[in-house]
Amino acid sequence: MRRPFVFAAATLLAACLLWPGWVGAFQSEGTVRIGGMWPLSGPAAFFGKAAHGLASLAVDEINEAGGLVVEGKRVKLALHAQDEACNAEQGLAVVKRLATVDKVIFSLGPGCSSVAEPVFGTLQKKLGDASDSGLQLLFFTDIATKFGLAKLSPWVFRNTPDEPAMYDFVVKYLKEKHPDLKTVMVSYESDFAHSAATWNLAVKPALERHKHHQIVEVVDWRWLDNEFGAQVTRLRKANADVYFSLTHTPSTCPSMLELKRQRVKPKMVIGITSLAGTEVLQQCPDVAAGIIAPSNFAPITPRAKQVADKAWERYKADSNIHSVPAYENVHLMKGLIEKAAIKNTEDTLLADRRKLRDQLAKVGTFQGVVGKITMRPEDDPVKPRDVDKDMILVQIKAAKWDVFWAPEHLKRN
Amino acid sequence: MGTALFDGTEQLINGLMYGCFYALVGGGFTLLFGVLRRFNLAYGSTIMAGAYAGLIPVYLFKAPVLVLFVTTIVVSVLVGLLVEFCCFRFLRKGHELAPLMTTIGMLIVIDETIVHLTDAVGLKYPAPFGDESLALGPFLIRPDYLAILVVSIACFSAIFWLMHRTRFGRAMRAVAERPEAAQILGVSVRRVNVLTFVLTSAMAGIIGFFAAVSVGSARPEMAAWLTGKGLVVMVLGGLGSFPGAILGGLALGVLEFEAVWFLGSSYRDILAFSILFLILMVRPGGLLGSRPA
Repeated sequence: MRRPFVFAAATLLAACLLWPGWVGAFQSEGTVRIGGMWPLSGPAAFFGKAAHGLASLAVDEINEAGGLVVEGKRVKLALHAQDEACNAEQGLAVVKRLATVDKVIFSLGPGCSSVAEPVFGTLQKKLGDASDSGLQLLFFTDIATKFGLAKLSPWVFRNTPDEPAMYDFVVKYLKEKHPDLKTVMVSYESDFAHSAATWNLAVKPALERHKHHQIVEVVDWRWLDNEFGAQVTRLRKANADVYFSLTHTPSTCPSMLELKRQRVKPKMVIGITSLAGTEVLQQCPDVAAGIIAPSNFAPITPRAKQVADKAWERYKADSNIHSVPAYENVHLMKGLIEKAAIKNTEDTLLADRRKLRDQLAKVGTFQGVVGKITMRPEDDPVKPRDVDKDMILVQIKAAKWDVFWAPEHLKRN
Repeated sequence: MGTALFDGTEQLINGLMYGCFYALVGGGFTLLFGVLRRFNLAYGSTIMAGAYAGLIPVYLFKAPVLVLFVTTIVVSVLVGLLVEFCCFRFLRKGHELAPLMTTIGMLIVIDETIVHLTDAVGLKYPAPFGDESLALGPFLIRPDYLAILVVSIACFSAIFWLMHRTRFGRAMRAVAERPEAAQILGVSVRRVNVLTFVLTSAMAGIIGFFAAVSVGSARPEMAAWLTGKGLVVMVLGGLGSFPGAILGGLALGVLEFEAVWFLGSSYRDILAFSILFLILMVRPGGLLGSRPA
């Protein structure tokens, strides 16, 4: 009795494994394949699923409007999303799949900087170098925020927050508007590349540069820690005016709760950019109340509100600083694919990727959901292939993100 | 009192209270290993499933904390029985390592199911013991840690009574010592195994409740964290020794708190595991475990 079942199961498995990934792709089938690798499982899945949702919304909008024109023919976008699980090993497997099995023309993601770093390390280091066997896959990253990641390969472009600039603004703002707040205490996650880099490469240099604040205590923990008593006791003893909580929601909520338990009441709390989403509002809106975070997105313009509502309606996807760039990137790339005169065949895939990469390198300024975004040129000495965009400060008030500060031109919109 | 001594004492108090929590986790792993002689790596996910499920009546009907607590225990017991059924019951004798794989599989299934259902977002948990620490003299004591201390003492006492004063406890010890001999004497090994799962899963419910209360939310990474800590406590205390698990839990709690305070959080695990290795070198059977033959 069991044999036919085992045979059928083995046949099905073999069929799944041998199914050619490219079937249904390319010009002949009327699709252009684009990829995305995000943490769709594990503790960082919140960010990945939100970005996947916003990218899917952009793909839907483009396809519903008739798709895009390649070689004179209307074709549709097909999004191939893979799960990197915020795990470097899985990320390395996924990037190979996207490049060689899914055969996408470009990819969004990765989500975690700790995945992006090794993944970008596998890409070609010098364009057109025949001796460099690195992958020739174009990335237009939407989440991985660690400063300097785009320098790892000419195939990497990013639409991610510019944290050094953002925290420089925050420190300057504090110095000018609240000169009485002089002492600073800091917490960061030592095992989370983004958090540690935000402290070491963005906040610390800004505090040193502006020479106004005195750093009286710095504590660290791991991003999935569950006990913060000893570190918060240190913060209590430091009793500083400003608290830079450079940690992500999983450790921000319990640590803020511990601050409350130990009656630590800094006059101002500044959070990490990644905090500006709904996760923190769902988990600890009360203890996180008052936290101010620098961000590039808040639903403060009619367009931003419309995108946020649509993404939630269709995909239950949260529109935030990390997910909205996925939407912006897909819309931008649609235009660039049309402009790049790609052939969209399996044989021309590498050449097509290169053409698209070169188009993206020339893009300059483009329209984002909230405001204008400018891609820095390849020879930029500070952050090549990274973007500059409008910054706002948002604050948690009554279990919602509220605009704390925004540039005048955005307020007018 | 000198500052270092004061700080050290404060961390010692916190470490002992938190150590009771670790002792409960390690105790659950130890009881299962003691009776079944097999590792149940899905124990952490049983704890997590209970913690999440407890929130259902709270979110749906605004149920009081007592209902949450009871639901957590009931669901943990059901999940524990599912683990027993899927991962242990049909495995043949002599395949002692097989449950490692089946329970890892179950851990992943439960973990990922919760991630998919919740989008990996932690769910806010009520704070039944209040949000502010109590000032006891110069020390700040967390009320939820005090509750953990009281509940764990009650749990340990109940388990000792059960093991040494009841028929089921005698059967449990007999199965743990020599299952074949116990079976010849009329003890139903399967029944004892199932009841051990019920007992440890009820403990899992209590652990899940306090794990979520202490961080203010039920979170998908709870399972991996609790599995890691539980295994360390079990090995540190001595495989299969329940008093050893209590001692191991307390030792781990104190070590972690003192390490974070005096050396920093990055030294916490280095110190804890270095001491674990040191103890295993001196006492290969763990703190209170029997010496291996």
